[in-house]
Amino acid sequence: MATKRGGSASSTTYSPWSNQKTRRQKRLDLKDPDWVRADGRLFHQCRPAFFRTGAVSAAAGSAYAELGDTKVIVSVFGPRESKKAMLYSDVGRLNCNVSYTTFATSVREQGSDHKEYSSTLHKALEGAIILESFPKTTVDVFALVLESSGSDLPLVVSCASLALADAGIMMYDLVTAVSLSCHGPNLILDPLVEEESHQDGSLMVTYMPSRVEVTQLTITGEWSVSRIHEAMNLCISACSRLGDVMRSCLKEAAAAAADDT
Amino acid sequence: MRGIQLSLNQTQKLRLLRALDKLDSLSSKSNSNVSVIVADTISVNYDGGVLKGHGTSELDGEVVATLCGVVERVNKLVYVRALRARYKPETGDIIVGRIVEVSQKRWRIDINANQDAVLMLSSMNMPDKIQRRRTAVDELNMRIIFEENDFMCAEIRNLQHDGTLQLQARSEKYGKLDRGQLLKVPCYLVKRRKQHFHQLDQYVVTLVLGCNGYIWVGELIPEKDAVMEDLPNNTDQASTNTTGGVEKAQAGSATETRKNICRIANAVRVLSTLSFNITMEVIMEVFNLSVSLNLPIDHMLGAELCVSVAEREAERRSTSTKRKV
Repeated sequence: MATKRGGSASSTTYSPWSNQKTRRQKRLDLKDPDWVRADGRLFHQCRPAFFRTGAVSAAAGSAYAELGDTKVIVSVFGPRESKKAMLYSDVGRLNCNVSYTTFATSVREQGSDHKEYSSTLHKALEGAIILESFPKTTVDVFALVLESSGSDLPLVVSCASLALADAGIMMYDLVTAVSLSCHGPNLILDPLVEEESHQDGSLMVTYMPSRVEVTQLTITGEWSVSRIHEAMNLCISACSRLGDVMRSCLKEAAAAAADDT
Repeated sequence: MRGIQLSLNQTQKLRLLRALDKLDSLSSKSNSNVSVIVADTISVNYDGGVLKGHGTSELDGEVVATLCGVVERVNKLVYVRALRARYKPETGDIIVGRIVEVSQKRWRIDINANQDAVLMLSSMNMPDKIQRRRTAVDELNMRIIFEENDFMCAEIRNLQHDGTLQLQARSEKYGKLDRGQLLKVPCYLVKRRKQHFHQLDQYVVTLVLGCNGYIWVGELIPEKDAVMEDLPNNTDQASTNTTGGVEKAQAGSATETRKNICRIANAVRVLSTLSFNITMEVIMEVFNLSVSLNLPIDHMLGAELCVSVAEREAERRSTSTKRKV
């Protein structure tokens, strides 16, 4: 019954997306100005985002976020005791871990830690957290990507900052992140997996809306300075909009919790 | 409501919502209790000068919040009280903790705060009740007093500059806790009171409400007579109110006592699910309610009792406010 069609890459795993090759051929003319995105969005339109705090009751703080089909859950533990080997330090430590579930991508893969995303998440968050408020202790952030459908890391960063706020860790501001993909002359915000896979370059900005500060900027590919300016302005305005959505989610949660006490 | 995972049917949901709305309307909330989230500006009257307290910072001459919580004002001090943060220890709090490690001349204890607390050997009473210097032999015999994963209650002696907590357990009422169960509730539900130790003689149960959110419900071991302690026959028994004798430990608690312990523990769990403050009166009310409804102990965590407790509490508070007015 499981006949292979068109020679898929892995001959031993079953993939429901068996006609990938035909779809890819349609994509190649993306320099065409009439090119429309797969889900019908405008170039500078992000997918609708959904956030909810308090997803994991065992953790000090947690948050669940959806951006279209991409789904992420982040739990924060701490501040708790550092390992014995740590000497006294008057700033706290932040420990980040991003991992994918085995069912997150379209082809089932070995779920494991994503070291590169973990270190990017660490750099994005450490500028926003007031580390002096918990000396000698560690805050652990564990992010789990439940479904990956493009723009995973920006959603992980936004969700992680919500989870930290939920845990009561002191921060300068919420961190929002948006990524942008470059296809020839077009700059498209919040790319999907197919759009990311054949992009010319990418840019990810993690931004603190109220402080108007960028905590991290990641650029891949070939960019001219004016292009970078244009791309950053697009991302920053998208981050501000995302920041408003996150703040309204936190306000609801804080108001609901304040009613209890 | 966070943490409530009850399967309520339609009528139960309505009753619960109605009771909770009633409680909301009864609770006095002044207008200055504004809930803020990170990087919200806090409206402050700058004329008299302002002291920026915990959870605030300054940005462009404005006071912004660094935590999600409720703004509290005391004269010129403005601070943000976090709603769900970990237990913040203060000197003099009575806490229940679990021994994590036995190290040189001290025990490390987990008390649900940022860091583990430390109980020095010199802050603990010796089994033979003599006040003396702790020798090397005492240090080697530390395991006789407390081992890993034992529960004990103590008082916070002081907070050191780097945040380390020091405990002391010098009084008779502190020490090892056994023959009971530990409950973990959110720490903001246990307010600081005069009495944290409660003894229910008619049910043979002792209750310790730790300020850190750990609550101990255990069997009440009757106090040995002070006169008997001095007799030479009893000095090698090492039996105090809290440690208990070896023979009794082997015998086990009576079934009736165990049922009472479970019922009280479930009452505390119901209160924690509903996020009500945990005090002795409320616990006894829930206990009596469950007995009067003839609920078997394992049904206490169901939806029906939660809803009834919420309704009862709303009624009780409305009658008490009516009496005041």
